[in-house]
Amino acid sequence: MNYLNDLFTLLPEIVLVVLVLVVITADLFLPRADKWMLTPLTVFGLILAGIACVLVWGVNDTVFSGFYRVDDLSVFLKMVTVGVGILSALFVPSYLRIRRLPLGEFNAMLLFSLIGMCVLCSSSDLITLFVGLELMVMPGYLLTGFAKTDRYSNEGGLKYFLLGSFASAILLFGVSWTYGVTGTTRIDAIGQALSGSSLNPAMLVAVAMLMVGATFKVAAVPFHYWTPDAYQGAPTPITGYLSVGPKLGAFALLIRVFAEALGPVRADWLVVMAILAVLTMTGGNIVALVQTNVKRMLAYSAIAHSGYILAGLAAFAAAGSVAVQRESIESILFYLAGYALMNIAAFSVVGMLQRDTSRFGGLRSFAGLGARSPGRAAAMAILLLSLTGIPPTVGFFAKWYVLLATVDAGLAWLAVLIVLNAALAAFYYLRVIVYMYMREPEDDPAPIDASAFGTVALALSVIGVILLGVYPGAILDVLRASAGSLF
Amino acid sequence: MTGVPVLSLIVFLPLVGALVLLFVPGTAHRAIRWIALLASLASLAASLALIGYRPDGPEFQFTENIDWVPAFGMGYRLGVDGLSAVLVMLTTILSAVSILYSWNPITKAVKEYYISMLLLMVGMLGVFVSLDLFLFYVFWEISLIPMYLIIGIWGGPRRIYATIKFVVYTLVGSLLMLVAILAVAIAHASAGHPFTFSYVELRGFAYTDTLQALAFGAFFLAFAIKVPMWPLHTWLPDAHVEAPTAGSILLAGVLLKLGGYGFLRYSLPLLPDAAKAFAPIMIALAVIAILYGALVAMVQPDLKKLVAYSSVSHMGFVMLGIFIFNMQGLQGAVYQMLAHGVITGALFLLVGVIYERTHDREIAHLGGLNARTPHYAAIFGLFVFASIGLPGLAGFIGEFLVLLGTFRYNGYVAGITMFIVIASAVYMLWMYQRMFFTVPSDWMRRFWPTLKDLSRNEWLALAPLIILVVAMGVYPVLIMDAVNSPAQRILDAVNASGGLTSFQLPW
Repeated sequence: MNYLNDLFTLLPEIVLVVLVLVVITADLFLPRADKWMLTPLTVFGLILAGIACVLVWGVNDTVFSGFYRVDDLSVFLKMVTVGVGILSALFVPSYLRIRRLPLGEFNAMLLFSLIGMCVLCSSSDLITLFVGLELMVMPGYLLTGFAKTDRYSNEGGLKYFLLGSFASAILLFGVSWTYGVTGTTRIDAIGQALSGSSLNPAMLVAVAMLMVGATFKVAAVPFHYWTPDAYQGAPTPITGYLSVGPKLGAFALLIRVFAEALGPVRADWLVVMAILAVLTMTGGNIVALVQTNVKRMLAYSAIAHSGYILAGLAAFAAAGSVAVQRESIESILFYLAGYALMNIAAFSVVGMLQRDTSRFGGLRSFAGLGARSPGRAAAMAILLLSLTGIPPTVGFFAKWYVLLATVDAGLAWLAVLIVLNAALAAFYYLRVIVYMYMREPEDDPAPIDASAFGTVALALSVIGVILLGVYPGAILDVLRASAGSLF
Repeated sequence: MTGVPVLSLIVFLPLVGALVLLFVPGTAHRAIRWIALLASLASLAASLALIGYRPDGPEFQFTENIDWVPAFGMGYRLGVDGLSAVLVMLTTILSAVSILYSWNPITKAVKEYYISMLLLMVGMLGVFVSLDLFLFYVFWEISLIPMYLIIGIWGGPRRIYATIKFVVYTLVGSLLMLVAILAVAIAHASAGHPFTFSYVELRGFAYTDTLQALAFGAFFLAFAIKVPMWPLHTWLPDAHVEAPTAGSILLAGVLLKLGGYGFLRYSLPLLPDAAKAFAPIMIALAVIAILYGALVAMVQPDLKKLVAYSSVSHMGFVMLGIFIFNMQGLQGAVYQMLAHGVITGALFLLVGVIYERTHDREIAHLGGLNARTPHYAAIFGLFVFASIGLPGLAGFIGEFLVLLGTFRYNGYVAGITMFIVIASAVYMLWMYQRMFFTVPSDWMRRFWPTLKDLSRNEWLALAPLIILVVAMGVYPVLIMDAVNSPAQRILDAVNASGGLTSFQLPW
């Protein structure tokens, strides 16, 4: 065993851990007026972590006696994780400063959560997986309740914590049943133990529990009830992170558990996954349709997006050939990356309109934004069109990819339901554009928070949304290699 | 074809204009208008190169072929045949006319308006020149959003309702078409071909009957909503009434043609068996549209609504011509599309002229305009007669050819259709009479002292349309030659097919 080599493969995680320590220490010694420097520090550290990811690209090795797997799939997800971290670190600070919330603690917790996501993406054992999951969601609970004196933030944090722990317990119970049936917690060994036979009743219980636990974390209907309150209660840019980061991790978990460990018995969970996908996208969209608060609307639409990604997983289960299976995983990965980019940015624009702390992101604060702040309105419009799935944006290509996978897997009916849902979603996304461009501003328009960090991050996101939409080929090779490492 | 990428220039010169506009301050209205006009004129100039299209040459000319996402067989494939060449020129001309006409009426958010107009051009032109189904879809959707904004921001009082209705209708149809495009490409690939969205490759493949039927249905929804065919037309009157004048010109003049073009370019050659099997239904819908549009147009009190419903009727002729599957019908359909684009574009422009002066479009409020605005009356009359189908003007040839083809298809259908041609004379002439010849109403007299005849700008915008409507009426040969071989290819594809023989629903 070459432990030095094993440690090298952990480089991104190591960089992140060192970064947390540096940030906490710096927070202790920096005078209040200079706290803003934590943001560039964090971003710089995250860029280093991104470089570390590039260094371990292509290693494809299982390390630490099989507990940890650094394959291209995990490295790709870590790169997206780092990107999510950079955007969040840039979007959040001014929102916190206006509300006199501590920046150092936020940065530290964000980084802890990112480390959890990295561990989760790389786990090749259900135990590691669980540790990573908890490390990812614990800071999430705290971040939701981050505005200590705000009732809604407290309520959201508490709900998220209680229901989240409950779901974690169910997931863990599922893990123990799996161990009971197969005699192992190693993901590839579970796959081998299950291949060639149909599910026995005990394993069926295990699969059911794993599915409930995992789909809870991606906010699939009917396990979504925590989402709107947690998302609405949390400070807005943090909601952006929560709607993307933990979801990214949860989908990594779904890929690891369902595509890898339970891949051999995928015919048994196909139908449930497809039904969950339909329920999730339809349920999310229908409820989003009647929201008058943009933050809450985006929270429900985030549920709908989970549904589209779950459809990719259903396509994986229905696929008749390895090529189509790969395509499904690729579509999930592309969707996750594109969704991360557009959703964080969309929430951040809502946050920018909450400079006046008595505003909660109602539709009315968007009235006339096109005249008041043309740049931000245009950015928001592009993000909303991308969320709707209008070309040439990344959101369109992501939907297209999922559609390709579902049609290719023979689930044309699911593809039809996806596009009908997309048309439904157009209705509420475009309503925000109606308010921004087709209505006059209110008498006392919401003041806009125009911090430099936030503006830069917004510009970066929008450029990314368009570039990846016009030329998705830019990340396609990386995507294919990472999906390929599963097979 | 090597050398200058003519088609890319046509499509993306407006985009260049839009990008330049981004950096012009929003208060510099004059500069903004000039830049937009120049960008559209540049695109128009580039499109004149398409006159060099050789009807006896290869099917697609001016082709460009660049890999876009090779992993998925998506290419930046452009090319025109006679059919798309004439539609491209129609689009560039009408766009320039619209931008010119908007010079004075648009005073609110001028910069955003012209950016939307130029992006709309990009989308529309892109649809006509793409030879890749994926690229086609991308342009198809791109053309949607600018029109959404144009109606929603610069439209009339009920603009938000109208524009959302327009978007949701169109989006439902086009998204289902996306699934159909995928299904077609996947079916083609699963037969051992490399995965591609290239139109030329996908055409001529023997898709299973079930796929053809379902895909035809999806394409039908997308295209029929755009055309619009009865009973999917209900968004059109709302959109037209609320849209600003230039929006109406492009909506009627070009966007509706996207639907007809879609049938000709995609539905028929890709899915000939299904097209053949469903033709009787399509013909029935087309005849209903012709009849319904004409009858409803007769009772419209609002000028724009009247012209909008006459569009439903005229586009019904296009659909009828497409689905009777003979040479006269197809040529007539294409000619009717072009003529309708010019005539209805001009009629909406003329309605805009009176609306600018009185801010009202009630026919009952007008009257006696002949006395105050003789030039306006004369030009309006010219286009009214063209719309009715007076020989010597553009509208006649298309309708005549379609009718001729219909007689070959079925005498009864042709008989019914003939009757409706008379109805179109009724509503158009009656409208003209009420507008220009009766005694002016008290309401109208308030405007009497200030009412002006056509301005220089309006003359400039109308001039190309006037020339076209006469030229197309007396000398149709150029267009007929260009359209001849594409029409023949479509006919060959459809006539070689035996319809759906083993069609089964998949459930």
